[in-house]
Amino acid sequence: MRVIVDDSDVDVQAGTTVLQAVRLSGGFVPTLCFDERQEPFGACRVCMVGVRGASGPLPACTTLCRDGMVIDTRDETARRIAAATVELVLSELPQPPGEGTELAAIARDLGVEGELRWPGAVHERREDLRHPYLALRQELCISCGRCVRACDEVQGAFALTAVGRGFDANIAAGMDQGFRDSTCVSCGACADTCPTDAITEISLLAMIER
Amino acid sequence: MDRDLTTTCGYCGVGCRLEAHASDGKVITIAPALDGPANKGHTCLKGRFAHQFSRHRERLDSPLIRDGDGELRRASWEEAIALIVSELTRIRDADGPDAIAGLASSRATNEDCYVMQRMMRAAIGTHNIDNCSRVCHSPTSWALRKSFGLSGATGSFDDIEAADAAILIGANPTEAHPVAGARIKQATLRGLKLVTIDPRRIELADYGVLHLSPRPGTNAAVMLGLAHVVARDGLVDQPFLAARTEGYDETRALLEDYTPADVQRISGVPAADLQRAAHIYAEAGEASVMWGLGVTEHRYGSEVVRLICNLALMCGKVGRRGSALLPLRGQNNVQGSSDMGALPDTFTGYQSVADESVARRFEERWGVSMKRERGLKIPEMFSAAVAGDLKAMYIFGEDVAQTDPDTTHVIAALESLELLVVQDIFENETTRYADVVLPASSFLEKGGTFTNAERRIQLVAPAIDPPGDARTDFDILTTISAALGHDMGFQTPADAMDEIAALTPDWAGVSHERIGRGGLQWPVAADGTDSPILYEDAFELPGGRALLAALPYKPPGSEVSDAFPVILVTGRRLEHYNAGTMTRRTHNLDLVGSEWLEIHPDDAERLWIEDGSLVSVRSAHGRIELHAHVTARIEPGHVFTAFHFPEVRTNLLIGPSADVNTSCPEYKVVAVDVRPVSEKPRRTPAIAAAG
Repeated sequence: MRVIVDDSDVDVQAGTTVLQAVRLSGGFVPTLCFDERQEPFGACRVCMVGVRGASGPLPACTTLCRDGMVIDTRDETARRIAAATVELVLSELPQPPGEGTELAAIARDLGVEGELRWPGAVHERREDLRHPYLALRQELCISCGRCVRACDEVQGAFALTAVGRGFDANIAAGMDQGFRDSTCVSCGACADTCPTDAITEISLLAMIER
Repeated sequence: MDRDLTTTCGYCGVGCRLEAHASDGKVITIAPALDGPANKGHTCLKGRFAHQFSRHRERLDSPLIRDGDGELRRASWEEAIALIVSELTRIRDADGPDAIAGLASSRATNEDCYVMQRMMRAAIGTHNIDNCSRVCHSPTSWALRKSFGLSGATGSFDDIEAADAAILIGANPTEAHPVAGARIKQATLRGLKLVTIDPRRIELADYGVLHLSPRPGTNAAVMLGLAHVVARDGLVDQPFLAARTEGYDETRALLEDYTPADVQRISGVPAADLQRAAHIYAEAGEASVMWGLGVTEHRYGSEVVRLICNLALMCGKVGRRGSALLPLRGQNNVQGSSDMGALPDTFTGYQSVADESVARRFEERWGVSMKRERGLKIPEMFSAAVAGDLKAMYIFGEDVAQTDPDTTHVIAALESLELLVVQDIFENETTRYADVVLPASSFLEKGGTFTNAERRIQLVAPAIDPPGDARTDFDILTTISAALGHDMGFQTPADAMDEIAALTPDWAGVSHERIGRGGLQWPVAADGTDSPILYEDAFELPGGRALLAALPYKPPGSEVSDAFPVILVTGRRLEHYNAGTMTRRTHNLDLVGSEWLEIHPDDAERLWIEDGSLVSVRSAHGRIELHAHVTARIEPGHVFTAFHFPEVRTNLLIGPSADVNTSCPEYKVVAVDVRPVSEKPRRTPAIAAAG
């Protein structure tokens, strides 16, 4: 079947997601909770796109293509929702995300810069540096779930868990006893996928802007 | 100065593609390549984190020469090379070229191994060249060639996800091949019916549908029993057998003797489990078999691989996506070192040194004449050295004094040599006996190719330069060959690959340029077409037909007795890698800092051994001491340990027993005596601690 992404025709197989179609067309949609190694999750509401005839913007990662679908990656409402979401995410962090992180990159793409409109409570600094390679800095966690899914769906160690609710939502290694004493196998898939450096390599900490 | 590049991991045989970032001559970080065909954006703690060894203070950064007073002293390259050349020439003139032998390294690149074997054959004039696949998967290579024709996996790691069922025998991939292990685990979570066969209850057994625990050394009986059930219950693919195989009738007759009840008696595997396993495999639409050193490192390991091939042939499960035979190769390039002819009986691509037309092709290209008789295998080299017939060895990237069996004999051999050259990245147990030590390069410091367990040739690129005066292995070997009077004329590893392609029909279309990011799975046709799946239409044997082998079960070389009542099995752990030369010089040591012996709670109680207590393990060949870990993951009557630490010389325990066809040592079955080594004498049994 065929879909139209920003005026270009793309031929896709049944079962292709809108995000895949956009990427096939050479286009770009910012994503936050998406990692191509994992099943689409659809939680962050950052990959919003306009679809002709739909009542509102749709998440590209979990929406399947339909024949003749007309997709607009620059849809104003979609971009505004995504930008507001990212701004809310940033507002909980005690410091801006490091320049090299995915979160910083999509904030730049969506024009979320400078003073945030909604100052408020920020996460308290809480870091765990007991593992020889993996640093966990919980104040930078945005609960996107990518590390938990990497641990489950890519490695299969089941060492990470989503914990807490609302503002207190975060992740824990094992029963919150840290990587070393959990079922962690130190593969680093969590650090590889983390979009904020909440989980990162200890050896890189000195280089990451704090 | 920063360097960003894509390379291939130098740890296990999975062949993960990695993105490396280096700055100021140091590796800063490594991440998995999203498009890596084997790893698909994943890697393990070895590939990702264990790179600090590359700049460890103990790295060799200068040639060393042993002085009159027995100490190694720093020397210039000129002095070291002059000494090697004069000594090798003297020994060759006095005792002939066959008094010299070389070992190529399965951690080095294809191009390194190629120039190593060419140096031994053309510059020195002997076929005495071997590599460490001798002590791991040589039985697999031998058996796959006999049964199907080619020495490599019949499919790819992608078959794991395409299979409906799989048998995993004698391997513990979540520890030894972590990325393949993760792929298998994920496949089971998506419905793959996995049957695990191992004396230990490995982690993947918890994810499979069935686990069989045969006594060590009885794999043959289990495979014959599975084949018996397939034949008895009408699960044989008769059209496939008739059209594509030879030798079924004889095999069928032999199978009569291996009823599930017989196999239960021999192996301890319950008859009902055996029957269920046979049905799971045979009735699946597509099913694969994966195996590791638990199959090969036995007295009849090569025969067990042939029996695995029999089973696949009887069920018609070869040559299709999802129906593959996948040996899990141990080291990053253990497939490639053999492919490159670092073997005493074959040139590149397993072309026999005894084949007149093959030998002439190589003689013409290299401008030398060579013998038509094969050279010595590794164990034969050591025996020849002890006997005084072998005078010199050139050992490249292998710590034989730590990793080879019957360590006492190996050391006696090394001590008997008039010249021992060791080319390595660290001083190790073997360099203790070396006359000259050459500082070499790790996989992070050189270019070339590795071939992974699915026959995929992948590019290796240097993220950093070798430390100090260390050089790349390619540079060292071509320089020494030229100094010996045989200039190979290669400027770069890519030049060597062009010669390999010209001399090797199965590699005809291989070039560094073509390999690109995705790799090439040999055989590669001249037009560059590669082969993810072998034998789709025909086997690489006369008439295109595979050969079944009627081989009975025979007991292992080491059996329990009153003096040695427990069976020791050895293997690997996740955090470390073989002799530990690399991983022990990283923070992996913080994760796992010592060796331990796994022992079943029943045995521990009977032997008055507590968790964490020091025990003595004694075999007919040696004795070691280490701490015990009491765990139900191992069957009663068996104990397990790895061989990553020189403090625990596990291989002192291993005797000379070896595979009958390939001389691969029997690391997996050693009768031992285990007893506590109490610092203070204990008068009360272990019960006191339990209370």
